[in-house]
Parts: sequence; structure tokens; C-alpha cells
Amino acid sequence: MMKQLLISCVVGFGLAFAAPMQSQAETLVSALSSEEVNITSNFTGTDITVFGEITRDAATVPRSGPYDIVVVVEGPPERVTTWRKERIFGLWINAHSKTYTNVPSFYAVHSTRPLQEITEDDTLEDQRTGLVNLPLAPFGVRLSSAEDRRAFRKAFLQERVDLGLYAERPDTIKLLSPTLFATSIPIPANVPVGEFKVTTFLYNGGVVLSEGHQELTVAKKGFEQFTFDLANENPALYGVIAVILALFTGWLAGVIFRKD
Amino acid sequence: MFMIFGMGGAVGFLSGLFGIGGGFLLTPLLIFSGIPPAVAVATVTTQTVASSSSGVLAYIRRNAIDFKLAFVLLCAGIVGSFIGVWLFGVLQELGQLDLVISLAYVTFLGAIGILMLVESMKAISRKRTGGQAELRRPGQHNWVHGLPFKMRFRRSKIYVSVIPIFVIGSTIGFLGSILGLGGGFMMVPALIYLLRVPTNVVIGTSLLQILVTMAVATILHSINTQTVDVVLALTLMVGSVIGAQFGAQIGQGIRGEHLRLMLALLVLSVGLRFAFNLIVEPSDLYSVTIDMRLPQ
Repeated sequence: MMKQLLISCVVGFGLAFAAPMQSQAETLVSALSSEEVNITSNFTGTDITVFGEITRDAATVPRSGPYDIVVVVEGPPERVTTWRKERIFGLWINAHSKTYTNVPSFYAVHSTRPLQEITEDDTLEDQRTGLVNLPLAPFGVRLSSAEDRRAFRKAFLQERVDLGLYAERPDTIKLLSPTLFATSIPIPANVPVGEFKVTTFLYNGGVVLSEGHQELTVAKKGFEQFTFDLANENPALYGVIAVILALFTGWLAGVIFRKD
Repeated sequence: MFMIFGMGGAVGFLSGLFGIGGGFLLTPLLIFSGIPPAVAVATVTTQTVASSSSGVLAYIRRNAIDFKLAFVLLCAGIVGSFIGVWLFGVLQELGQLDLVISLAYVTFLGAIGILMLVESMKAISRKRTGGQAELRRPGQHNWVHGLPFKMRFRRSKIYVSVIPIFVIGSTIGFLGSILGLGGGFMMVPALIYLLRVPTNVVIGTSLLQILVTMAVATILHSINTQTVDVVLALTLMVGSVIGAQFGAQIGQGIRGEHLRLMLALLVLSVGLRFAFNLIVEPSDLYSVTIDMRLPQ
């Protein structure tokens, strides 16, 4: 009897407490224009649109200030090494290196405003949002100065930005209405394959109100897929096929241009 | 894609013009056009299989191959390419592959370019002064013939030690798999001057050795570093096959020593370009390599 009473008491209290909490926060509904990017032999890049709606109900507390949306697209992780050349005996040689593990192979951040205007640096760091907040964990311990680490980090990010694999694009998310948003994320031709994570953040007053998660699959298709899979999964067979192709081409050339 | 095709065509044209395999020009061209050196080297080994196979077929028809000699050479070549591909992977891991490729090309192209330059200049000036070309009259035997483990090769009519054959074969296999060149331009003189292989069988025999060694290198590169790009290789093959036909036709209208002078200058300039890249401070000191994809 006492137990039942206690339970009903807790449940009642919980409900009474939870109900207003739920109706207070906005929810974010987001989606991708396509959940798959197919890399065929004539692939020259494409665009993926991330769109969604901020839903509020009658019980949602009124907010001061605008809503901000941040969309983060992250490619599959990889281990990379950044090298720095130095002059040794008059030659420019790769002398120093830093290896980072678990870095995204692709990283794009779109936002309604510059990230620093949306929220505090600490929040961005916690969310790992923005190029400066990418966690580049050096692999293996090497003695180096903080200045050195910064230089390597900067060089790595610059190289990725130049390749079009990393990007931070403020002011690229348009609010079509006070609650509707859309942004178009360029996917370059050199995009790596794998599972991509698309995360959408709803910010107001510097705080994350809601998050949405989507997955995007980038895969090779057709002939590209065939050679890619074969080279990675059955490299010996790939090599043999390459040789047979070469022999055939050579033989064919001999037949076509035979003089005697 | 079209640029690659064009490069294949251009190198094919040159190889037809000068009667060379072209690997030592094709690999540098690919590297200079921005293809990673590792991929350039491995892919040219595949292309070399194609370019040597039509030659091999032609020489088989003419019965101009010493199969026994080729067999010994290619056994050594396979050993050499095993070592080469292994070292290739190690150097890539250490981040020094590009450096070694560049240094090796500077050395080889520089040395060969200067030798050819001197030789062709002499030939041209001899022609001008109307002098006789000095015919080398080599003795029947040199120090190579004093080595042990002799073997008889009936087709070539030689009786030599297997040691120099093994050294030549494995060196070519090693260099071919690490630098992406067939090595005919080194093997033919070595076979003629060191082993006294008759000129009528030397080209067919060395082509057969190159064909097999490069085929093995292609497979090993595919397994070890996944750097063979079949699409790139096919584009190069088709381009070079077509280019070679035009090159051969035009080459017949030019005097031999002038051709050699042009080739020498070309070889030297490619070597200088490698040296330039090593000596001049690069605009970007940093470079990034992807070591591996991580499981999610």
C-alpha cells in the first residue's frame, strides 16, 4: 500500500515536472535531399541540400533573439601524417612529421552566421564545431613545442581546405521562413567514400536547443566501384587483371600495326 | 583524362622516334603533372607490360629471343622486383619515397644524358670532319668471362657465368619496380658489352625479361601498396600505342646521331627538372599523406 502510493506519487510528480519541460523546447526536424552520393566514372562533384523545420507549439516559451542553425558534415575518420620539408645537405627533404589519428576525411560546417557570433568558444569546442575546434590528436608522443604543433595543425587544415575537403562557410544557411531552413553543401569530386555523419544544431542565445542526425553514404558505383573494391579486397586478382589487360592491349596493338 | 591520354601519346611518340621504352620519361611526366609518385611508378610498370608485349610477340615470330638467357634474367628480375616493391612500401611509410625517386632519377638521367650527349656530339663532329667512325673491336673475353658458375646459351652462342646475368637481371627488376622504368636502355648495353650477347637477340631477350619482371611488379605493387591505377594505365597504353606509330615513321627520316642528341637533351632536361625540385625551396613546405582509413 505504501509502495503503491510512493510510486504514484513519484510518477505524478515526474509527469507534472516533465510536461512543461517537453513543451518548452523546440524540436528540430531535418532531412537530406539525398541520402546517397554515387561516384561514377564521370563524377565531378555534387551538392547535398540539408533542410528542415524548427517546430514550436503553443507551450514553447517565447525566445528573444534569432534562431541559429549549424550543419556539420563529417566524413569517415582516417589517420594522416603531415610532413615538413627541411634543407638537408642542400636538398629539401621531409624531415619532421606529425601523425594525427581519427581525423575526419571530410568536414564542412555551414551556419546562419559566423560561429563566434552564434555561441561562446567553449560551447563550440565542446561540440567540436568549426575548423579550429577539430580535435587533432597527435599519434604517438613526440617532443615538440606548442608553436611547432600549431604550425603543423595550421598546415594540415590549410591543405585540406585547399583540396576542398574541409570548409567553414558562415552565412550559408538561409531561413526561408522564421522556422524553415535550407543549405546546400558542395561535395567535391575528390570526396572520400564511406558513411558521412550530418548533424544539425539549433542554437538560441548561445545554447543548443535541439540536434538532428542524418547519415549520408558516399559510394563508388559501376566500373569505379568494381575497380575500387577489387583493388582493396582482392589486390592480387586486381594485379593479375591489370597484367592481362596490358598484355591484351599490347597484343592488339601488335596486330593492328603489324607491318610484316 | 585527355591530358593523360595526350601524355601517353607524346611519350609513345618519343619512344617510337628514339626506339626506347619510354618508362623513364613517362614516370617523370606523370609526377610533374601532379600524380603522386607512388601511383605514377606503379602504374607505369603496368603500362610497360603493354608496350613490351607487342615487341615480344614480334621478336618471337622472328625467332630473335634467347629463351634460356631470358629465363635466367627474369628469375633474377623477379627477385629484384620483390626487393624493390618491399623497399617501395618501407620508403612510403617513412615518407621518403618521393625523395628517393627524385634522387635516383637525377642520378640516372644525369649520367645517361651526359654519356649520350658526349657520344652523339662526337658522332656528329666525326661526320662533319669526314672521319671514320672508330669501330670498337672488343677482345673475345673480358673480366666477366673469368667468373665461375658458367652456363652455355646456345641461341646467343655465349658461355658465361650466371653471376653477371643475375646481377643485371635483379638490378633491372629492382630499379624497374622502384622507379617505374622498363630498364631496356640499361640492360641492352649491359648484355652487349658485358656478356657479348649478339645484337640480333639482345632486344627480344631483354624485352621478354622486362615484360615478365614488370608483370610481377604490377601484381606485387597491387598487393603491397594498392598504387596501381588500371584506368590510368589503360589510358597511357592506348595513347602510347598510337603515338609510337607516328614516332617510328618520323624517326626514320632523321639521322641517328641527331636523334641521339635530341634524346640526350631531353633526358638531361628531365633530370634537371628533378634536381630543380629538390634544390629550390618549395612554396609549400608541408605535405599531408593519408596513412589509413579507420573503421567507424
